[in-house]
Amino acid sequence: MAEDIVDVLIVGAGASGAAVAYSLADTRMRILCLEQGDWMNSSEYPSTKMDWEARQFKEYNIDPNIRSNSADYPINNDESPISVVNFNGVGGSTILYGAHFPRLHPSDFKVKSLDGVADDWPVDYDLLEPYFAHNDRMMGVSGLAGDPAYPPKQPPLPPIPLGLVGETMARGYNQLGWHWWPSDSAIISEAYEGRDKCLNLGPCMSGCAQGAKSSTDINYWPAAIRAGVELKTRCRVREVTLNEQGMANGVIYYDEDGLEQFQRAEVVIMACNGVGTPRILLNSQSNLFPEGIANSTGLVGKNLMFHPVGFVQGLFDEDLQSHKGPQACCILSKQFYETDPQRDFVRGYNMQVSRGAGPVGTALQGYASGNIPWGSKHHAAFKKRFDHVAALAILCEDLPELHNQVTLDPELVDADGIPAPKINYQISENTQKMLKHGLARGEEVMRAAGATEVFSGGPVRPAGWHLLGTARMGNDPKTSVVNNWGRSHDVKNLFIVDGSIFVTAGGLNPTSTIQALSLYIADSIKKNLANLFD
Amino acid sequence: MTNNTVITSDNPLNNTQQKNLIALLDVLIPASDDELMPSAAGLDFIPYLHLHSAETIPILLQLLDHLEPQFCTLSPALRQPIVEQLSNTQAAQFRTIVMQVFACYYQTEAAQKGIGLEAGAPFPRGNDIEAGDLSLLDPVIAGDHGYRKA
Repeated sequence: MAEDIVDVLIVGAGASGAAVAYSLADTRMRILCLEQGDWMNSSEYPSTKMDWEARQFKEYNIDPNIRSNSADYPINNDESPISVVNFNGVGGSTILYGAHFPRLHPSDFKVKSLDGVADDWPVDYDLLEPYFAHNDRMMGVSGLAGDPAYPPKQPPLPPIPLGLVGETMARGYNQLGWHWWPSDSAIISEAYEGRDKCLNLGPCMSGCAQGAKSSTDINYWPAAIRAGVELKTRCRVREVTLNEQGMANGVIYYDEDGLEQFQRAEVVIMACNGVGTPRILLNSQSNLFPEGIANSTGLVGKNLMFHPVGFVQGLFDEDLQSHKGPQACCILSKQFYETDPQRDFVRGYNMQVSRGAGPVGTALQGYASGNIPWGSKHHAAFKKRFDHVAALAILCEDLPELHNQVTLDPELVDADGIPAPKINYQISENTQKMLKHGLARGEEVMRAAGATEVFSGGPVRPAGWHLLGTARMGNDPKTSVVNNWGRSHDVKNLFIVDGSIFVTAGGLNPTSTIQALSLYIADSIKKNLANLFD
Repeated sequence: MTNNTVITSDNPLNNTQQKNLIALLDVLIPASDDELMPSAAGLDFIPYLHLHSAETIPILLQLLDHLEPQFCTLSPALRQPIVEQLSNTQAAQFRTIVMQVFACYYQTEAAQKGIGLEAGAPFPRGNDIEAGDLSLLDPVIAGDHGYRKA
């Protein structure tokens, strides 16, 4: 197909690329997706092996610089206290994510109007609600209706088990009178769409051998391919090319043999996450766009937002069986999610209760914190902690700042010679105050739940999962990269559907919202096919 | 843990280093008094490092070079202060190796059984956990936790 032309070319087969491919498939257009990684083989995931914990540290490490798979590209995090984590393959980072699946709140789309900071989005919760719901059904989301912290919604599957960890922490929240609710989780609690239910294996974040965790390689992609979408793996895109009229006309990529190829396309859709997408756009330089395609504003790569993460661990006398069950998903609290004028920061954070570590994780964390020594006291110290620890993550909302950005590293390149992304990022004073507040409240709820020892810290360095804001959407071409349905203001057949287009970050895991936006943009493309480039 | 892909010639240790390594492992994780937990002396540590952390083998060799040849002949009580000293003088290397020892140890069948687990890979066995009492949500539902209107 190298010299052939496709109607739609999607770059990246992760959360957003899969959703947009699936949705556009019913147009019967010729759709091709290029993915730099490969298909996963679930029988090779660490949880199928005795040494599953060690394998998490290396070939399934969340940090691409440590993992260094052939599909990965290096990332220069030297100028950032938070390092980028991701996965490159069919399914993208949904292969290794924790599958926490909350939606942004209605207020998250109106930050400027409500709190006088950052900007409002050009779309809102009500507009996206049908896409959230559709996405929940496609992914297979478990949860419980009735959460007062949200407008009404109905997860398609019942919640995953609370376990003793969830019950114990729930009692702590109740004692303080704070909000909590079972997490919306992209993990199927019952058999669903040909997939078997969760077995509570534990290590979700190194791939789910059971196929119960909803990564897009096992839901969206099979459906999209059945509907006629073509997916080519081991194809690493270097740049988006332009024709003389200033329209995108394809991409240059390296195939699995490292050979340079050109793929022509009528429409190009970027779906490479908030670092991968600006990297390619910035590398797509031409006379028309010397600073990178679709970058007349200079905003491509700017306003990078993470969710700085703090952690709180509590040690309990009771055996909580905490190594069992979905690692990251249990219950969460939105008690401090919204702005409160009484506090010294705006916006807020999500508190996520997670399960405890496995034996190796327990031993290593215990050694690092000075609680599990080597020597004759080792066994007693290990026994005291293993299965007796509950954990909390404090996920803080980041606000957009121009100096937090992705650029092209002047020296570092990937295996194909493409410049690597360089991250320049600082945690704002507002976020630091938020994190401090969150850690203190986390310790408070741990003690209320009965923890006898509490340990907290942050920001966690390898926690740059959520890569947002680097090609923001907006109605004004002077202050945004794409319009209110993901189309580049500059190049009218170039779309972006990943987390790059977030205007603000909210304070929670973004995959649900990324995919809802992707479905919404696909729907908008379908509705505007007759005058797509006007 | 046995690794069939590592052959004997992959062992970078001479006989003295091998004996000192076994003695060092026994100090780092001795058998428990109730004998439920084995000593780390029985670990196939070098094959483990080859498989999971080959870059730490030179660090281990450096560490072993700081032990006198007769270290392995000493009683456990006499080895203890020597290892204490090693942990202070070679702190970074020592921590690296201790972490690898812990990781290797808790992935063995004997250690997993000792801590009460069914040894083996999590999949396909899985785990049973409590569904949980959702009536705990009653005060949340009754409380004032509505979302912020936008």
